[in-house]
Amino acid sequence: MNIDIDGIAKEFGTTTALSPVSLQIPSGALVALLGPSGSGKTTLLRILGGLEFPDRGRVLFDGSDATHLSVQDRRAGFVFQSYALFRHMTVAQNIAYGLQARPRRQRPSAPQIEARVSDLLHMIRLPDIGGRYPSQLSGGQRQRVALARALAIDPRMLLLDEPFGALDAKVRKELRQNLRTIHDDTGLTTVFVTHDQDEAMALADMVVVMSMGRIEQVGHPQEIRAAPSSDFVREFIAV
Amino acid sequence: MSDIALAPRRACTTEARPLRAALIALAFAGLGLLVFAPLALVFGHALSDGWAASVAALRQPDALSAIRLTLLITALTIPLNAGFGIAAAWFVTRFEFRGKALLITLIDLPFSVSPVVAGLCIVLLFGANSAMGGWLVAHDMTVVFALPGILLATVFVTFPFVARELIPVMIEQGRAEEEAALTLGAGGWRVFRTVTLPNIRWALIYGVLLCTARAMGEFGAVAVVSGKIRGQTATMPITIEMLYNEYLSTAAFSMAALLTVFALLTLLVKTLLEIRHSDQLAAMRRH
Amino acid sequence: MAVLSGRLIRRSAMPGLGLSGGITLAMVSMVVLLPIGALLARGWQFGPANLWEVIHHPRVWAALFLSFRLAFLAGVANLIFGVLLAWVLVRYRFPGRRILDAAVDLPFALPTAVAGIALTALYAPNGAIGSIAAQAGLRIAYTQWGILIALIFVGLPFVTRTVQPVIEEIDREVEEASATLGASRLQTLRRVILPMLAPAALTGFALAMARAVGEYGSVIFIAGNIPMKTEIAPLLIVIQLEQFNHDAAASIGIAMLAISFAALLSINLIQIVTRARMGHV
Repeated sequence: MNIDIDGIAKEFGTTTALSPVSLQIPSGALVALLGPSGSGKTTLLRILGGLEFPDRGRVLFDGSDATHLSVQDRRAGFVFQSYALFRHMTVAQNIAYGLQARPRRQRPSAPQIEARVSDLLHMIRLPDIGGRYPSQLSGGQRQRVALARALAIDPRMLLLDEPFGALDAKVRKELRQNLRTIHDDTGLTTVFVTHDQDEAMALADMVVVMSMGRIEQVGHPQEIRAAPSSDFVREFIAV
Repeated sequence: MSDIALAPRRACTTEARPLRAALIALAFAGLGLLVFAPLALVFGHALSDGWAASVAALRQPDALSAIRLTLLITALTIPLNAGFGIAAAWFVTRFEFRGKALLITLIDLPFSVSPVVAGLCIVLLFGANSAMGGWLVAHDMTVVFALPGILLATVFVTFPFVARELIPVMIEQGRAEEEAALTLGAGGWRVFRTVTLPNIRWALIYGVLLCTARAMGEFGAVAVVSGKIRGQTATMPITIEMLYNEYLSTAAFSMAALLTVFALLTLLVKTLLEIRHSDQLAAMRRH
Repeated sequence: MAVLSGRLIRRSAMPGLGLSGGITLAMVSMVVLLPIGALLARGWQFGPANLWEVIHHPRVWAALFLSFRLAFLAGVANLIFGVLLAWVLVRYRFPGRRILDAAVDLPFALPTAVAGIALTALYAPNGAIGSIAAQAGLRIAYTQWGILIALIFVGLPFVTRTVQPVIEEIDREVEEASATLGASRLQTLRRVILPMLAPAALTGFALAMARAVGEYGSVIFIAGNIPMKTEIAPLLIVIQLEQFNHDAAASIGIAMLAISFAALLSINLIQIVTRARMGHV
């Protein structure tokens, strides 16, 4: 699914989170929103996911206006920075949640849900942890469960907020590869937010550099490295 | 972990043994004079003429009516308060709006208003010689000196209890889990039932317990609005006062003992909950 | 709610704005704003001059001053005993600690009328403790001492419960640091620990005092209710209401509301000042 961001602006009180920004994301791309904290990247991601609403501008999914589509109807697989796993549910219950939340007529049967959960646990290569609680998992395991939970609803796109932020260096590298594989296997349009330029450059097909609510530059990692469009971009990717 | 084993290593972070003993003795003496002695006295006086006299006093028609009224008021107050507390905590912690601090102050206000002043406010609002009271009388409805007034007074004095317990818990838990449920397609009620409620359940029960204890025992506000009509608007605490003023000591203390049993029960459940609640909090910290 | 959304309320994906906001605002208006508004409106109709005349009447003035003064003294007693109790409960391990801890909450849970008659029976000249005091020439019940004891009873939990979590969070290394710098244990307590507890203790003091100023149920039995001597302000309101003198009742009520507001304001000021200085609490 392609995403068209058309002149989105957002203010919180007196602070401007997003000066009008526009961006076209082609179907199947793996996109990094890269910038320091306060650059508006998380706000943009939350607007795509339907968790915030822009003051002005439109969001189009495959050409149709989705600006006011409710968060439930967007079917965006969202991975939160803290993972936001339901702490009182087992891993399997977490993953099954979205399928069980469907209206009765669209809801898969219990055995179907069980099979889907099992498939997803295999896909994240943690087949045996279905009965555990989030508090019993390592950071890397939690991130993979959060990813599986987002994928369970058969999302139209995948949105990830600092997906590797809370992990140590070794696990981070492993899970980067994991995300790449999942993206390539599913073909989902994927947008992730990061403040780590290494991560953006290593993983994404398309990097969007943001600063103070504006988009500074959009391009393939090599293009950005070869020809930074501003001093800010040059300094930010040099760190 | 015994204190004695630690004493040599921790000598610089604790007091000398005699001072410690003196402080502990002071704590026991203070609570003994203020809390334990009155508690023992209530049961002692209640049973001074024997069980039978006590039970007989509680089975007087006026006493039974007071017990029924107090239980009814409590049963009506709890859902009103819990419903309000949940709504207020959701509104305050899940949305950004202007005037939030003012709203929280207004919710807290009943804590610092004298119960007698609370009762006075209700009399002035609904009493027969107020504008609203006149209208109510004309339509054959009474608030003051009747059940609605007692209920309103009780809701006023217990107003902040549930909301005050829920707001910090819901701030600490943040919105991420609820947002995650929304992105997975869950509707509002489902999010509340399956994600929010399990996370706030102990805090909710805790607030309801505080509310219950206060609702059963409220005296000042109810004394002002109830009119103290025996067998009709006299709650258990009001009945205690009337019996005591008539020098019916056994009857007064029997009723007091029954109320004390109710209070001790809520305290017991609360203490048990605190032990379990702390487990849950520890689990949350591990997360 | 639709009118309010937009500028006043930020649009959000969270469900239930209308429902939760509607219930909250309706209940706050019905339970808090309308009744208190009725009190203020009554005072306004009566007129500030008349209102002042009622408050300035010697008997009313004496009652207000008595309530305020004894509430303050009870707050001070609770401040000292509450900090001591919190320290003992958190730091020491001894048999009966759990029961002691649970007993601190009893004044919250025990109906005030029950506390009132029990304390009266206990501290009356023929009561278990009152008779001992009488031999020493001290009358407790039906004097200001009795009122003070009742007010200490109702305010007992506040200081202990606000100070307890702060003691639990004190880093032992701070005490050890003080000891390595050569401070005696008492110096450490006085110069390191007590200042750390002060903001919470003062908050508890203000809460206990606010509660005591308005207390009625536990006091009227033990007070004796002698005008000018042991008559508290809430009782005066009740007396005026029984005589259907609503204007005078409203005047005293407004005076008490003002005292409550002052207490609430001082709590907030304490918290703002200490937050600015210590970065938390």
